Amino acid sequence: MTSPALERSAARLLRWYPAAWRTRYGAEFTELLLAEYAERPRSWRRTANVIGSGLLARLSGLGLTGFGLSAADQARASLATLGCAAAAFLIFGLAMAAQLAIGWQWAMPHDPATTSGLALMAAGTVLLLLLTVLAAVPVAWGATAALLGRGTGGGPRRRVAGPVGFVLAGGTALVAGAHHFQNSWPGTGGTAVHRGLVPAGAAAFSWASTLSVSSYWAHPAALRAFPAPELAWMALSPLALLSLAGGTVAIVRRQRPSARLLAYQSRLAAAAALAMGCFLAGAGCWVFGQGSGRAGLFHAGVVDVAGLAVMTVALAAAARAAVGARRGALALAGRG
Amino acid sequence: MPDSSSPAPARGAPGTPLGGFGRYAGPATLILSSLADGPKHGYALTKDIEQFAGLRLAPGTLYEALSRLEGQGLIEGLESQDRRRPYQLTAAGATALRAHLADQERVAQVGLGRLARTWGAT
Repeated sequence: MTSPALERSAARLLRWYPAAWRTRYGAEFTELLLAEYAERPRSWRRTANVIGSGLLARLSGLGLTGFGLSAADQARASLATLGCAAAAFLIFGLAMAAQLAIGWQWAMPHDPATTSGLALMAAGTVLLLLLTVLAAVPVAWGATAALLGRGTGGGPRRRVAGPVGFVLAGGTALVAGAHHFQNSWPGTGGTAVHRGLVPAGAAAFSWASTLSVSSYWAHPAALRAFPAPELAWMALSPLALLSLAGGTVAIVRRQRPSARLLAYQSRLAAAAALAMGCFLAGAGCWVFGQGSGRAGLFHAGVVDVAGLAVMTVALAAAARAAVGARRGALALAGRG
Repeated sequence: MPDSSSPAPARGAPGTPLGGFGRYAGPATLILSSLADGPKHGYALTKDIEQFAGLRLAPGTLYEALSRLEGQGLIEGLESQDRRRPYQLTAAGATALRAHLADQERVAQVGLGRLARTWGAT
């Protein structure tokens, strides 16, 4: 290989690392790779090692490893990652739980796996929502203070103004859209039968807000029979969810909370991981142990198995992030 | 010399400078030992470690350990020379390395002593 070819090869490998890492170490790391190439032109072990290290450096940036960031950055990055993981978990989890909760309003499940599964999911959801409120209050307070200019200069306001806009836009679109569509299917909410573990309105709202998590995407012919506004909502509601979750995460990453507040948030993060574990246990109980149910109301399909897989990955990331947040908070408090 | 009157830190515990490096404690020790006689850049570190330890650190592993050591203030980067940045040991790094090697020496002495008593001298 010629020298430019070696440079290109090194540059390709360097792309596995995050931008901040490349800025700091990119030039010297390229030199090292070129020296290695001169000695041993080809080595799959070296390539695998660089790719693995690059991915690890990216995980460090997300607060999922214990190194590479200062204690405060580690805690903030971990909390933001936990927020992302919890959002993904809730989207797939609520889609699953809403389906069961709505089914329960029409007929009582007769198998204990479904009953206990939904009970665990409901408990996990309530706990997660409570923890979300407890975590959101200080974040919202900090963002409001920054917007009102209580910080020094206009820096804090500029940092949070964009993300706050995304949160408001996404949240408004989600609430308005879900409220509009929650009774558009005869199965949801509109029934006069008031049975079930979860209030009908909550189940219908959860169903409508997570309508995009659907196996109908794999059946275009069936999708074509849907009303156009509902199809549009299925396609656009993920953007509202993304805007809401992404904006919240950006606010968390851009705020400069005190060590005490980070310690408080890290405790909530650990509790959130436990709540997600409770929910996942319920979901697994239903998916793997579900009975036939009446008229297929409680049938677990491929989309539910896929949802379970996504939730498992999200929980693993959240648990790792909770550990990272706690470690960062303890180091910041001088006890790490 | 370490002060024998002060309580010894838990060996390999996350609170000790190198103990918290987990699987990177090995590369970190090799890098710090290599820098103990003066600054070196990445490739020079690789060759030096290969020479005294018989072990070649892969580029990714080397730079992971370097960035962690730098983040902990145990080494520092000097001015780049033709895109090659030499690193040197800091005072904190020298202290951490000395403590870590003393720990390893104690463990080695215990192991060798027990081997000699049970299996005899070779």
